[in-house]
Amino acid sequence: MKKISGKTSDLLREIKAEAAEMPVSERRNFLLRGLQLTAGSAFAMSAAKIMASDSSLPPNVPAWTKSLGRGVVSEPYGKPSKYEDDVIRRTVTWLTATPQSSISMTPIHEMKGIITPSGLVFERYHAGLPDVNPDEHRLMIHGMVKNPIILTMDDLMRFPSESVIHFLECPANGGMEWHGAQMEALQFTHGMLSCCEWTGVKLSTILDEVGLLPEAKWVLAEGADGATMTRSIPLEKALDDTLVVFAQNGERLRPEQGYPVRLFNPGWEGNTSIKWLRRLEIGDKPWYQREETSKYTDLMPDGKARKFSFIQETNSVITSPCPERPMLRKGVYELEGIAWSGRGTIKRVDVSFDGGVSWRQAKLKGLVLPKAITRFSLEINWQGEPLLLQSRSIDESGYVQPTLTQLRSVRGSNSIYHKNSIHTWKLDSDGTVSNVQLG
Amino acid sequence: MFNWDNKYLNKVMLLIGILVTSQVVWSQDTGYYGYGKPATQEEIAGWDIDVRPDGKGLPDGSGSVSRGEELYDAKCASCHGAFGEGEGRWPKLAGGFGTLDKAKPDKTVGSYWPYASTLWDYIHRAMPFTQPQSLTIDETYSLTAYVLYLNGIVEEDFELTHGNFTEIEMPNKDGFYEDNRPDVKNPACMENCKDPKTITITSAIKGITPLDHVAEEEKSNQKNSSAPKTPDSKNKKEVTEEEQMRIGRKVYGNSCSICHGQGVAGAPIFGDKVAWESRTAQGFEVLKKHALEGFSGESGVMPAKGGNPSLSEQEISAAVFYMIESTK
Repeated sequence: MKKISGKTSDLLREIKAEAAEMPVSERRNFLLRGLQLTAGSAFAMSAAKIMASDSSLPPNVPAWTKSLGRGVVSEPYGKPSKYEDDVIRRTVTWLTATPQSSISMTPIHEMKGIITPSGLVFERYHAGLPDVNPDEHRLMIHGMVKNPIILTMDDLMRFPSESVIHFLECPANGGMEWHGAQMEALQFTHGMLSCCEWTGVKLSTILDEVGLLPEAKWVLAEGADGATMTRSIPLEKALDDTLVVFAQNGERLRPEQGYPVRLFNPGWEGNTSIKWLRRLEIGDKPWYQREETSKYTDLMPDGKARKFSFIQETNSVITSPCPERPMLRKGVYELEGIAWSGRGTIKRVDVSFDGGVSWRQAKLKGLVLPKAITRFSLEINWQGEPLLLQSRSIDESGYVQPTLTQLRSVRGSNSIYHKNSIHTWKLDSDGTVSNVQLG
Repeated sequence: MFNWDNKYLNKVMLLIGILVTSQVVWSQDTGYYGYGKPATQEEIAGWDIDVRPDGKGLPDGSGSVSRGEELYDAKCASCHGAFGEGEGRWPKLAGGFGTLDKAKPDKTVGSYWPYASTLWDYIHRAMPFTQPQSLTIDETYSLTAYVLYLNGIVEEDFELTHGNFTEIEMPNKDGFYEDNRPDVKNPACMENCKDPKTITITSAIKGITPLDHVAEEEKSNQKNSSAPKTPDSKNKKEVTEEEQMRIGRKVYGNSCSICHGQGVAGAPIFGDKVAWESRTAQGFEVLKKHALEGFSGESGVMPAKGGNPSLSEQEISAAVFYMIESTK
C-alpha cells in the first residue's frame, strides 16, 4: 500500500509540474489524461483536487456547490475524507524481523484535541492480528478464587460498566532514540501513543464476583492470540483502576485493539493491557513470563535490570511545529504540544526556545484529565529566527520530566524502555524542523 | 463389618447427597451477580498453560538434548540460527555472557533470562512462530534442554524432566531488581538554567526514517519560505549526496528491501554493520557492478538489478550508496 502510494504521488507530482509549464487551455486536457492514468486507484481523487484548485476559488463557484451530493447511507460506516489519506499509521520496517511481531505508530502530528480515532491507535502485535469470533470467545477467571467462572461476552457486558479517558503508550515509545537522535519525524519519535475513551467492567468487580482467597497477590492476564501474550499484574493495581474493556470511543473495540475484550491498566506500560483477553489467573506470586523478563525489563549500566517497571512517567512533546509540520510563514503562530503522565494529572508544561536555557509556562487547553493526553499551547511571533524548541511537563506527583542527560546519567543508553526525556526540535530560519539531541 | 442393612446405607447415601448438594449451592452462591458459568477442572486444564519458576504448572514429561537438537534443526534454526545466533533480526538465543554492562549488551536466554521456566513456558505457548501450541509436552522439554545446552547450562547427555527442572539455575537469576523509579530529579529551573555556549547539538541520522509522506510537505515548505537559499559549491556537493540518499531510499524501499530487509538468499541485512563491512571493503564501484550485473558468492546470490530490470543505472547506484551510507 505504501509503495503504491509513493509511486502514485510521484506521478501526480510530475503531472502537476509538467502542467505548470503549459498554456492554461492545454492544462485541463493534460490533467484529465493524468486522471485517467491513475483512475481506479484511490489517488485519482488527489488528481481531482489539483484540477479543482483552479476553478473552485472565488469568484468561481466550486463543482460541489453546483451539483447534488450523495444520499444518506452511501457510506453505512463513515470514513475520513479522501483528502485525508495521508493520516495513517506507519511503521519502520527495519525495526523487526516480521510485521506480525511489530509495531506501528499513530500520526500524532495530525491529531487534534486529546482523543485518538480508533482506526489510528498504534498497533503492537506479538503474533499478528487474530480474527476472534466474539460468540466463540470466552473469558476464564480461575486460580486462587472461591468460584472459578467462564464468561461469554454477553455475560461480561451485563456487569456494571464505566467509561474513562486514558492514554495508552508502549514503553518502547522513543526507545530508538536512547543512543542518539535516529528518527526524522514525530510519528516515529513519539507515535507509540494514543488516547481513547475506554468502556469496560472494573476488574475489581469481577474479582469480587469470583471471591479472592486470602493468599491472592497477583493476576496473570493472558491473550487469545498466537502468542497467548501474558503479563503478571499486582493485585493492588487490579483492585484499583484496572478495567476489562470491550469498547473504545463509543463503539466496540477494534480488532487491532483486542476485540472483543482487552485488559486496560491506566497509566501503565501498554504491554500490560493484554488484548484479546481470554484468561485471568489469580496466584500468590508473579509468573515471570517472557514479556516481563526477556522483554519489558530495563537494563541499567551495571548490567542489572529493573523488573515490573509498570508506570509510564510523565512525558511531553511539541507537535506543531514538528518535522512533519514545518513553519510555513513568519508571524503569529500557536505552538502546540501534548503532555501525559501515568502518575495522574498534568499540572504544568513549560516551553523553551533556546534549548533549555530559559523556560516559559504554556497554557493547558481543553480537558485536563488524569492519565490522559493533555494539550498545551503558547502563542509566539516567529520572525525567522532559528530556535531549539523543548517542552517540559510536571505532573500532580510533582515529578518533572527530566533531560536526556539526566536520564542517561542514571540509566545509560541500553534500557530500551521508558525514555521520557525532554525532546528537542531544531527550527531553522527557513522553517524546517528536525530532530536533534542536546549535550 | 460392611454388612450394613439397606436402611442404614440409604441414610448414609442421603447424608452424602445433602453434603454434595450444599457444596454446589455454596459455590454458586458466592457471586453477587451470578453471571457466567462455573469453570470445570477440565476446562481450566485446557487453557491453564502457564509455568512458574517454582515449577507450578509444569506438566509431567521429559526430553533430552539430543532429541531437542533434531527438533531445533527442523523447527527453530531457520529463524534462530543453527547455534542460536539468530538469523537477521530474529532473536538470538545463545551466548552474550558478560556483555550486559557493555556498550552493546547481548541479551540471550543464557546471558539474560532469570528462569528456565520462562523458556519452557514460552516455547510451549508461542513457538514455533507460525505454529503456536503445536509442540507436545515432551517436545517442549527436549527443546528447552537443547537451548539450555546451546548456552552451556546443561551437558550434551542431559535429560530434562519434571523431577529435575527446578534444579536448573540460570546464570542471570540475580540480575533483576524491583522498579525503583523515580530515579531522576529535574529542578524545573526557569531562567539562566545553563550556559548557552556549552550546548552541543547532535542531529538525527539521515536516511533511515520512512519519510515519503514528509517529502511533499517539505517541498511545499521550501516554496513558501521567504528565506533565501544561496547554494555555493560546498552545498552543491551535499545536495547531490542528499539527492542520492533520497533516490536510494526510495529504490531500496520498493525493490532492495524485499531481500536486504530480512536477509533473504544470503543478502546482507540493511544496517547490519558486520555483514556489510567485508562488502564495503571492496569499494563502491565493485558493489555497484555486482548490483547492476548480478553476483553469485559463497554466502548468497544477488540477481542483476535486484531482479528489477526497469531500474536505471543511476537508481541502482543511488540504492547502493544509500545502503552503504546506512551501515556507517
